[in-house]
Amino acid sequence: MVDVSQHTLVPEHTLLEEEEVEEMLDEYDVKRTNLPKIKRTDPAAPDGVETGDVVKIVRDSRTTDTAVTYRLVIE
Amino acid sequence: MQTPKEIGAIQFGLMDPETYRDMSATKVITADTYDDDGYPIDMGLMDPRLGVIDPGLQCRTCGSHSGSCNGHFGHIELAAPVIHVGFTKLIRRLLRSTCRECGRLSLTDEESEEFRDGLTRTEELGEDWTDVLKSAVRQARKANNCPHCGAPQHDIKHEKPTTYYEVQDVLAGDYSERIASAMQPDEDDEDDAGMAPSTLADQTGIELQRVNQILSGEFRPVGDDRKKLEKALDVDLTEEDMNKLMPSDIRDWFEDIPNEDIVTLGIDPNRARPEWMILTVLPVPPVTARPSITLDNGQRSEDDLTHKLVDIIRINQRFMENREAGAPQLIIEDLWELLQYHVTTFIDNEISGTPPARHRSGRPLKTLSQRLKGKEGRFRGSLSGKRVNFSARTVISPDPTLSLNEVGVPERVAREMTQTMNVTERNLERAQQYVRNGPEGHPGANYVKRPDGRRLKVTEKNCEELADKVEPAWEVNRHLIDGDIVIFNRQPSLHRMSIMAHEVVVMPYKTFRLNTVVCPPYNADFDGDEMNMHALQTEEARAEARVLMRVQEQILSPRFGQNIIGAIQDHISGTYLLTNGNPHFSETQALDLLRATSIDTLPEPAGEEEDGRPYWTGRQLFSELLPDDLNLEFSSSTGDDVVIRDGQLVEGTIDEDAVGAFGGEVVDTLAKVYSKTRSRVFINEVASLAMRAIMHFGFSIGIDDESIPEEANEQVDEAIQSAYDRVQELIEIYEAGELESLPGRTVDETLEMKIMQQLGKARDSAGEIADDHFTDENPAVVMARSGARGSMLNLTQMAGCVGQQAVRGERINRGYEGRTLSHYQREDLSAEAHGFVENSYRGGLTPREFFFHAMGGREGLVDTAVRTSKSGYLQRRLINALSELEAQYDGTVRDTSGTIVQFEFGEDGTSPVKVSSNEKDGIDVENIADRVMDAEFTSDEEKERFLGRREPPTNLSEYAGPGLDKAQSTEVESDD
Repeated sequence: MVDVSQHTLVPEHTLLEEEEVEEMLDEYDVKRTNLPKIKRTDPAAPDGVETGDVVKIVRDSRTTDTAVTYRLVIE
Repeated sequence: MQTPKEIGAIQFGLMDPETYRDMSATKVITADTYDDDGYPIDMGLMDPRLGVIDPGLQCRTCGSHSGSCNGHFGHIELAAPVIHVGFTKLIRRLLRSTCRECGRLSLTDEESEEFRDGLTRTEELGEDWTDVLKSAVRQARKANNCPHCGAPQHDIKHEKPTTYYEVQDVLAGDYSERIASAMQPDEDDEDDAGMAPSTLADQTGIELQRVNQILSGEFRPVGDDRKKLEKALDVDLTEEDMNKLMPSDIRDWFEDIPNEDIVTLGIDPNRARPEWMILTVLPVPPVTARPSITLDNGQRSEDDLTHKLVDIIRINQRFMENREAGAPQLIIEDLWELLQYHVTTFIDNEISGTPPARHRSGRPLKTLSQRLKGKEGRFRGSLSGKRVNFSARTVISPDPTLSLNEVGVPERVAREMTQTMNVTERNLERAQQYVRNGPEGHPGANYVKRPDGRRLKVTEKNCEELADKVEPAWEVNRHLIDGDIVIFNRQPSLHRMSIMAHEVVVMPYKTFRLNTVVCPPYNADFDGDEMNMHALQTEEARAEARVLMRVQEQILSPRFGQNIIGAIQDHISGTYLLTNGNPHFSETQALDLLRATSIDTLPEPAGEEEDGRPYWTGRQLFSELLPDDLNLEFSSSTGDDVVIRDGQLVEGTIDEDAVGAFGGEVVDTLAKVYSKTRSRVFINEVASLAMRAIMHFGFSIGIDDESIPEEANEQVDEAIQSAYDRVQELIEIYEAGELESLPGRTVDETLEMKIMQQLGKARDSAGEIADDHFTDENPAVVMARSGARGSMLNLTQMAGCVGQQAVRGERINRGYEGRTLSHYQREDLSAEAHGFVENSYRGGLTPREFFFHAMGGREGLVDTAVRTSKSGYLQRRLINALSELEAQYDGTVRDTSGTIVQFEFGEDGTSPVKVSSNEKDGIDVENIADRVMDAEFTSDEEKERFLGRREPPTNLSEYAGPGLDKAQSTEVESDD
């Protein structure tokens, strides 16, 4: 199997610690379920993620160098 | 006027038949509408208790008159239950997933629980839960026996639109034959000796006597016996039996479904019960929803809905009569089906598989669904889009003397469209003058409103008298006058610049006049285009339009972040002529050029002519329009470098890249660095100066401007001839089978490509030859170079050679078998047989060339037609998908449920129109911050104090910063 996370076009996905998740949810004043979603089976999802986890994605951006998004892991 | 109530929420559900009866104003039993005297019949379809449509009559239910009475529902008691067509899919789903005996959902409690959890989860995630429902039904359908009562379940067959069958496996009629033949020895198989009845009896455990009875057809083996026989003989003894489920059966079935179970199927038992999907009582819409019209000859014409209701009542009555008379089951069933048909078409007349109910004339009736559906339906036609007052539409024409912020409004329009004026002590005299001028004079007034709310029409007769009565606190609806703000729009409204606010300039004649520089945002021209104007009716709307929607505020387009308004066409030719080669002008000429601008003094002359008279240069005059501190350097589309230093054009030609719409550097910089007002002034003045310049030089184009000398023509012919030769060579190589194919292409394709290449080169070289013979003063060249209009390719085609015509990107290959036209040999691969036009437009095309040219031209036309319709639909879908996304105050983009779509708008949180379009100089934040700080504070001390202070978070929205609860704990008051 190809490890897509090594591909140049796949941005960096990291699993967020529960503490960091709370911090982020606080910052945006958002419920967990109102985050964008990612499937647990997504090839780019980091190893060992469980439903309900939050993944942080850091993308390269043309205008701001890097852009950060968060996604909620769903089934 | 009634004020609209605020809608907090909308809930959808089913209605209890009892509620229908409760809200019903009357039961409807007669199919007749009016009696012979023209009075509505009691308990008929036009019963006065259902509301009034005739003016003067009183509603028997609420007592109000037509206009204020919205009408009241009635009801019809259906003789037998019928299925509501809108719910056929849901009915099928319920039939399939519930037990036919006990009505419970055919899922174990654990499974139910699981699916219910699935439903809540998908709802929390804001996703579509139909998938969960579908899998629940699929799971329930699998069960052969009810997990609760154990009753066997049968498959449900749905025959569209409204018939349901239970498919049962029953013992086949020819069961004895089937058993007998299975007992016979198989002729092809020697080992198979058949089976004697006694063996069969032993194997199945059925008594021999019984077996014999079965074989003779005297006894029907059902249940276990059948299964044993099937197993022993390896034979299928069943056949499918379709048992029709009548609506009453379904209703009884659904009544047994417990409330807990329907939750799993996505139905809220507080708002809907499954049995309510089977109608037992039909609501009759109020007459106001189906008004009848009186024709000229005094005859009444009823609404389509009324016609349909008449049908329903008739059949309903016949059904009842027949049932009471004890008619045979067959007739009852026929009538039942007929009733079902009428109720179905009353709800939806476009059901596939059902012939639509028709009017006597053959026109299909427009029933409930048809009123709501589609472009002209209630939603898209009447609610999302409406016809409005205070609007005008007419042809547009150009007027270069207007500012780009203005619009010329015909006096006739201005007299019709009014603005409300609140009379105060300060504007009293003006208001009185408007009223005194009357409705015919301009600027006059059409209506006045007294403080007691009474509206009076201003007429020619009463205007003098009325004017004296006007006093403060009155309202005067005065005509549009110069300076009023209106909204101007051209369809299709594809981007926000399709609707902009303009200031009114009242003018004679009948067209809207606009400055030509606003053509690009509207995509307008003057070949008969019409545009719409809307007069704003509230002070808030006018203020908002002036601040946000005025044309000058829309100079920068969010589509590409540069200006969309700027010089076009002749303006660009004008500035090109003015600045290219930097011509000299005498004092009179210079003053004449600048006379339409606000410049009223000339700068120091650039120098003196030989005869001692001072002269000014074109660049100098152009520089007069620039702000004094402008510094810019860029390269123009003409090909030279433009240098502007301290507001003086030092070098270069001003053309499309400098002042044009769609990203002219100077306009773009002015709009971003200076102000919208400064750039508006600049665009207006450039347009005026350019018009003066082009008139000074004179600019025209004729057929002789595209002709080239004879020797040039010969050169072109030569170039084309040599291309022909090379094509011929290629063909010969190909026919010899020696052509090497390019990677990934067949030999045929390679040949085509190479020929196309050669012919393309031929046209280009013809163009170059023609180009060499054109002077720089040639108007077509001026237009192409400056970017005003046309390209060098257009010029090539006019003067040199039109070139290869293509259909679908290939040479023309269609027509007859093996050839394009009957003028050529079959399999002729030459250039001229496949649509190469060697003549120029000026020289004229041969008939064959003309035909090929038309083929290529037709493709272009078809393409644009297809493209517009496709992109229109694409845009509609895109807009519907994105319409509820909103950038919040905290920078995130969310939909209406609060789900985040982007954590930062566009990843960078910036608006494209606020970003520098110059890649070299990004935003120098430090510098800007310093500048702001310097301007704001006088001493370093103050600055320090400011920088050291932390502003408490302001709570602009619930999404910005901490939520309300937290905000209160830090003692910050929310400002809403």
